[in-house]
Amino acid sequence: MSPATPNVEHVTCLGCGCACDDIAVVVQGGRIAEAKNACALGLAWFADGTVPTATRVNGRPGTLDEALGAAATLLAGAKRPLVYLAGDISCETQRDGVAIADRLHAAVDSLAATGAASVLAAQRRGRATATLGELRQRADLVVFWGVDPGLRYPRYASRYAVSPSGLQVPGGRQSRRVIAVDIGASRGPADADARVAIGAGQEVDALGIMRATVAGRALGATAPLDSAAALAREMSAARYVALVADGEPGPSGPDVDRAESLIGLALALNGPTRCALSILRGGGNRSGAEAVLTWQTGFPFAVDFAPGFPTYRPHAGAAELLATGAVDGALVVGAPDTLPEPVTRGLTGLASVAIGPRASAAAFTPVVAVDTGVAGIHEGGTAFRMDDVPLPLRPALTDTKVPSAAATLHRLRERLGA
Amino acid sequence: MTAPSRLRIAGGTVYDPANRVDGVVRDVCIEGDHIVADLPADAPRLDARSMVVMPGGVDIHAHLAGGSVNHARRLLPEEHAAAPAPAPRLADGAPARSGTEGTVPSTFATGYRYAGLGYTTVMEAAVAPLMARHAHTELDDTPIVDAGCFILLGNDDYLFRQIAAGETARAQDYAAWLLGATRGYAIKIVNPGGVAVWKGGGPQRNVNALDDAVGSSRVTPRKILETLARAANALALPHSVHVHCNNLGQAGNAATTLASMRALAGQRAHFTHLQFHSYGGAPGQPWTSAARDVIAYVNAHPEVSVDVGQVMFGPATTVTADSPVEHLLHTSSGRKWVNVDIELETGCGIVPYTYKEKAAIAALQWTVGLELFLLAQDPWRVVLSTDHPNGGTFRSYPELIRLLMDRTYRDERLKQVNQKLLAGSALLDGLKREYTLSEIATITRAAPARLLGLERKGHLGPGADADVTVYATDADRAKMFATPRYVLKAGVLVVEEGQLRRAPTGQRLVVRPPYDAAVTKDLKRFFDDYATVAFENYGVEQPA
Repeated sequence: MSPATPNVEHVTCLGCGCACDDIAVVVQGGRIAEAKNACALGLAWFADGTVPTATRVNGRPGTLDEALGAAATLLAGAKRPLVYLAGDISCETQRDGVAIADRLHAAVDSLAATGAASVLAAQRRGRATATLGELRQRADLVVFWGVDPGLRYPRYASRYAVSPSGLQVPGGRQSRRVIAVDIGASRGPADADARVAIGAGQEVDALGIMRATVAGRALGATAPLDSAAALAREMSAARYVALVADGEPGPSGPDVDRAESLIGLALALNGPTRCALSILRGGGNRSGAEAVLTWQTGFPFAVDFAPGFPTYRPHAGAAELLATGAVDGALVVGAPDTLPEPVTRGLTGLASVAIGPRASAAAFTPVVAVDTGVAGIHEGGTAFRMDDVPLPLRPALTDTKVPSAAATLHRLRERLGA
Repeated sequence: MTAPSRLRIAGGTVYDPANRVDGVVRDVCIEGDHIVADLPADAPRLDARSMVVMPGGVDIHAHLAGGSVNHARRLLPEEHAAAPAPAPRLADGAPARSGTEGTVPSTFATGYRYAGLGYTTVMEAAVAPLMARHAHTELDDTPIVDAGCFILLGNDDYLFRQIAAGETARAQDYAAWLLGATRGYAIKIVNPGGVAVWKGGGPQRNVNALDDAVGSSRVTPRKILETLARAANALALPHSVHVHCNNLGQAGNAATTLASMRALAGQRAHFTHLQFHSYGGAPGQPWTSAARDVIAYVNAHPEVSVDVGQVMFGPATTVTADSPVEHLLHTSSGRKWVNVDIELETGCGIVPYTYKEKAAIAALQWTVGLELFLLAQDPWRVVLSTDHPNGGTFRSYPELIRLLMDRTYRDERLKQVNQKLLAGSALLDGLKREYTLSEIATITRAAPARLLGLERKGHLGPGADADVTVYATDADRAKMFATPRYVLKAGVLVVEEGQLRRAPTGQRLVVRPPYDAAVTKDLKRFFDDYATVAFENYGVEQPA
């Protein structure tokens, strides 16, 4: 990076699924000095851009060639290999990861599996949704369903659904009504215009009543959850409803019934009015992993190539395979510190290869570890926003010594004949 | 083993309508990736005696890659689970990829299957500009076929602003810039104005007629059509504007279709999946076939071209930017439904669907498509499509060819379908026509290539791309066209003895028309005011 051009603008941040692409990165002395416009999550994600640059084989330093050779031997020798697409890699790297899994007849899963409940529900029912910019243009009523996006998706409200002005909401926040639905302890944003409280155990019932209300079915004077029914009437009367819910599991874990009920309500609201269900997803380009797996195999996550073609095992993904000891070798591509805890636990003690940012520091002590750059900081490529909008990655630090994940994985792919 | 640098396809019966070769026994000579006039006598030979030789197939309209297609894939795990596609075994031991099929196959399976049918060029018919990066990345994983993207315009707010302001020159500059920025090939219009109205909410759910107001009365479907058709022709794009008319799938929509054609009278324009736009009757009334009226207009107007969008019985998946239509299909069919409103540009709707012989409307749709084919007077302007996977998948093309070539078979099939709505249809009245092999070669390769302006595709003259399909002759035309004996793509033998043997990477077909750069300053302001993606991140070229 030339000192005369310290700024890289329009940088896409993968700190969460918002994938804000307005970050201006200031580089000084080969480190990130500033990430303008980034939120707290984004600042933590960029940090100063320094990453370890180790290559380790059996715990000892090795060359990249040695590491790739050992990785290929380990993976080709596994009877039941697993490939896991972790966070902070580009779609280009993910494509090579799936190719390797295909060649090895491996199981393959990704960080996108954290949102399995919403995906499975959508496979049963469909989805009524929109890209985030369409919520910005249209939504005059925004309902946050048991989620305050400020916590895990800090700029969602300022960039997309609430604050900005849009074609049909010229006054921005003033042109919209915001309702917070508090589901037990999962509360909507504090600055909502109105609140509706629903008991933690009543969520699916409330959504059913709301759907009935939208469909015009009178439930009588003794109907429970009349605040939910009133909310449904208000939603039906809006011009364009944004219904916002978290696709990442909360304290109570994933819930397919809830996910399906939310979809059912959003679908039904498109009878009397328009409604888009916006499912919030986490970062690291997990949405890219879902997209890549879908186009290469037909399935979004938890794919198994064992029979020589892709099969879908949504209830027997990486965490389950690891927990039952079914896997005897693993390739983790991406940042190991983004892995869900059950996956990390399952990898511990297993013969594994880790290629990705901070791989050498992986808690599960891989046999082969190759530290690489972070997609979007040290290397380019494509990433997907939570709404499946593809974005380019603009690396601010390109002259570091750390190898690129894409190039490293591609070399491993070639070694494996994939 | 890679591409044979020289190959003489010897002794085949050649159908090359672009060069007026109609079933003549002659050699086709290939050097490198293109056709040459002749080769030395000692050049390697491929014995094609008693076989039929045609240019590689060219699909003018299919949905095979990109954001909407991938939403459809994700919606259909049950189809994919029932249709595994193990990796083909390639001749040189090169890695091949497994996948899944069904109505929306995975990318590698898509490329392999198209090539396996003798198709070497496919146009992806609906790419939202915002999703173009995705479409291109998927096409990078779709082997063998050359592919181009039709870029969706006609429901985009920036265009509406130019139309409302009377800025036709700026509208043209915008279209030109957008095609370049998205690496697109042609301008696609889907339900002009209707998708924007659907997205806007409120009591109006769609537009119904060419002069309906879209937001402001200064923007109407007619003005959208006129503006973009004029732009495509002024820019001398290789393919004209590619129009999916208003009111798709509605009883009585033939009137809208004819009005749309008249609105562009005298200008080159392509009207896609015409079958879905050729119904008589009226909303709430029984449907009828209006194929005779619609094809009569096409026959009489040489500036008009169409693809048919034939419905084939069996499973399909409707996937379209025409999102209000998909809401209707969801509510009437009860099937699962995806809707995605795409910011400032367009929409996406998906409903899985099954066309049943015993269902009255499906039978009518099947009939209307065949009528359009059989009443068309100029095969150079009425070409084959099923609007894959909307009317049926591309894998049903051989069956469709049999229906066109074999009257006895067709009449038998006609007897088996629901007759309720067929009264007065030309097909029921009896259509004797049988397509010839030359006409099939025209509607599946020569004509689509010409309509797309692909000068090196769809023919076997010197200089053409060496995309060639060789069929073993079979009286059962479905069987013949389903399993070509040999397929060459850019000179590489990809199918040998009916087996996929090589899977080279296909090329991307793109245009980069000129525009006044002043439009980009105005666009940047528009992006700064409304978009959620930086103007600088919008184009598909990887930033430096």
